Amino acid sequence: MDLFSALELVIVRPETLVAEARPEGFGRTGLLGYFFGTLGLFVCLRMFSAVPPGMMSFGVVLTLVLAANFFFASSIHLFMDFTGAKGSASRLFLAFGCSDYFLALLVPLAFFAKLDVLNGFLWFCLCFLVVIYARVRLVRRLYPVSTNKALLSVWLPYAGLCAVFFVSFVYSLAWLVWLVI
Amino acid sequence: MEEQNNSGAVNPEAQPKPAAQPVPAAARPGAALWLKIIAGLYALSLIAAFVVINKADAARKTRPKDLDLSKLSGLGKSKKDAVAVIPLYGAISQGSSGHSWERGSQQIAKRITTLAAKKEVKAIVLDINSPGGTVGAVQEIYSAILKAKAETKKPFIARFGEVSASGGYYVAAACDQIVSHPGTITGSIGVIFSVSNFEGLMKKVGFRSEVIKSGKFKDIGSPSREMTLDERKLLQAMIDDSYDQFVTAVSVGRKMPVDQVKLLADGRIYTGRQAMDAKLVDKMGDLQDAIDKAGELGGIGKNPRVISDSDPFENLLSLMDSKLSLFGAKSVVEAIEIAPSLEYRWYGR
Repeated sequence: MDLFSALELVIVRPETLVAEARPEGFGRTGLLGYFFGTLGLFVCLRMFSAVPPGMMSFGVVLTLVLAANFFFASSIHLFMDFTGAKGSASRLFLAFGCSDYFLALLVPLAFFAKLDVLNGFLWFCLCFLVVIYARVRLVRRLYPVSTNKALLSVWLPYAGLCAVFFVSFVYSLAWLVWLVI
Repeated sequence: MEEQNNSGAVNPEAQPKPAAQPVPAAARPGAALWLKIIAGLYALSLIAAFVVINKADAARKTRPKDLDLSKLSGLGKSKKDAVAVIPLYGAISQGSSGHSWERGSQQIAKRITTLAAKKEVKAIVLDINSPGGTVGAVQEIYSAILKAKAETKKPFIARFGEVSASGGYYVAAACDQIVSHPGTITGSIGVIFSVSNFEGLMKKVGFRSEVIKSGKFKDIGSPSREMTLDERKLLQAMIDDSYDQFVTAVSVGRKMPVDQVKLLADGRIYTGRQAMDAKLVDKMGDLQDAIDKAGELGGIGKNPRVISDSDPFENLLSLMDSKLSLFGAKSVVEAIEIAPSLEYRWYGR
C-alpha cells in the first residue's frame, strides 16, 4: 500500500487504527509524517534564520522531534495505563507521526509571514493547536477515553516540560541575582 | 515501543461511539486525490522555500564578513581612531590561573600590549584605583607599558581615582602624563615585607612546627618563630633593592633626579594636590579630562571615541569564577592568607 492510500485509510476509516492487525503501511506513514512534518518546521525556521543550515542541522531537529514524540507517546501511554485505559503505545507514536503532516502547513505560512501578510507567531501557534487537536482525536481513537481525558493526557507532557523549563528559568534568575549581589 | 495491552483496545464496548460513522473509503474516492494535490502543493512550496533560503544565504555570504568574535568584546566596533581605557582596580597581583577573565597582572599586561598594537587606538588611558600590590605583578604591568610605548610610540595617560598609592603609582610612573583628583590618595613610594608571628599562639594551643631545611635562610619569613638578625639584614637588603628600583622608576618616569625622588619617597602618602606640588602628578582632573588629554596627545583631539576594555562575556566568567571558587570563600581565604610577600602596597585601606 502506498503512502497516500495508507494516509487516506487513516483519514477516511480511522477505526482501522484499533483493529487487531495494524493497518498496512501505517508504520511507514507515521514515520514519514515525522519526516515531512519536521521538514516543514525546519524550512519554516530556516526562513526565519532560527536554525543553522545543512543536513546535520535538519538531522538534529528530526532527532529532537522523534525523541520528544517518543517521550510524549510513552508518557501518555503510561498515564492511560495507570488510569485503566488500554491501548497500544507504538500505534500512538505512529499516529502522532500522522498528525505531524499538519506541520507541512508551516512552509506556506512562513512565506506569508515573511511577506507580512499574516502574523507568523499567531499562525504558528494555530498550526500547533491543529496538531494538538488531531492528536487528541487520535488518542480518543486509540484509547477508550473521554475527550477531556484525552485532552488532559495530550497536554500533560507539554505542561510537564513547561513546568521544568519554568523552574529552570526561575532558578537561573535566582542564580544570576546571587552572582551579582 | 512494545505493542501491548492490545486486547483492551479492540473492545468495541469500551470504545467511544464516534459522533458520525466514518464514511467507507469507497464512498470517498476523492480523498487520495486531494492528498496528492496537497502533497504537490507542499512539494512546490518546499522548492520555493529552498530557492528563497539559498538566495538569502548566498546574499549573506557575499556580504563582508564582519561577524568577528572580537566585535562582541566591544574592542573593534569601528575602525575610527579612538582612545582605549584600561581599568586597573584593586590590589595588583599575579592571577592564580591563566584564565583570560582573571584580573591578574599578566592579563592586564596582555590587554595593554593588545590594545597598543591596534591601529585605531591612538592613546591609552590607565584608569587606576589601586593601593598597589606585589612587586613582581606591579613590575609586569610597568614593563608592559614601557614595551608598548617603545614599540608603538603611543602616549599613555594615568588617571587616578580614589587611591593610587605605592604600586599604583609605580605603574603610573611609566605613563607620559598623570591626571589626578585633588583628593586622591597617592604616593606611598616604598616597599613593605610583613611577616606575622604566631609563635606565642601556637605555644598556647600546643602546636609546634618542625622544619628541616637545606640552608639557614630556607624558612625565612616563617610565622612559627622569631625572625633572626641575619634574616632581618637579608630582608632589609631585598627591601632596599626593591625600593631603589621604585625610586629609579619614578625618577626616570617623572624625569626627576633620584635624590629629589628619595626626599619624597619615605612611604608617606599625598593628596592629589600635594602630589602635583611635589611634581608627582601633572594635572588635576577626572576621567574625561584624562581621556581628552590622551586624545590630544594621540592627535585625535578632545572628546575622542573611547574603546572600553570590558568584555561582557569575560566579565560574567570572572563574576562566576569569583563567586563559585570555594563557594564564595575564596576572598576570605585570600584575606587571611599569611604567606609573606614583597609588596609595593599601601595598607591604609
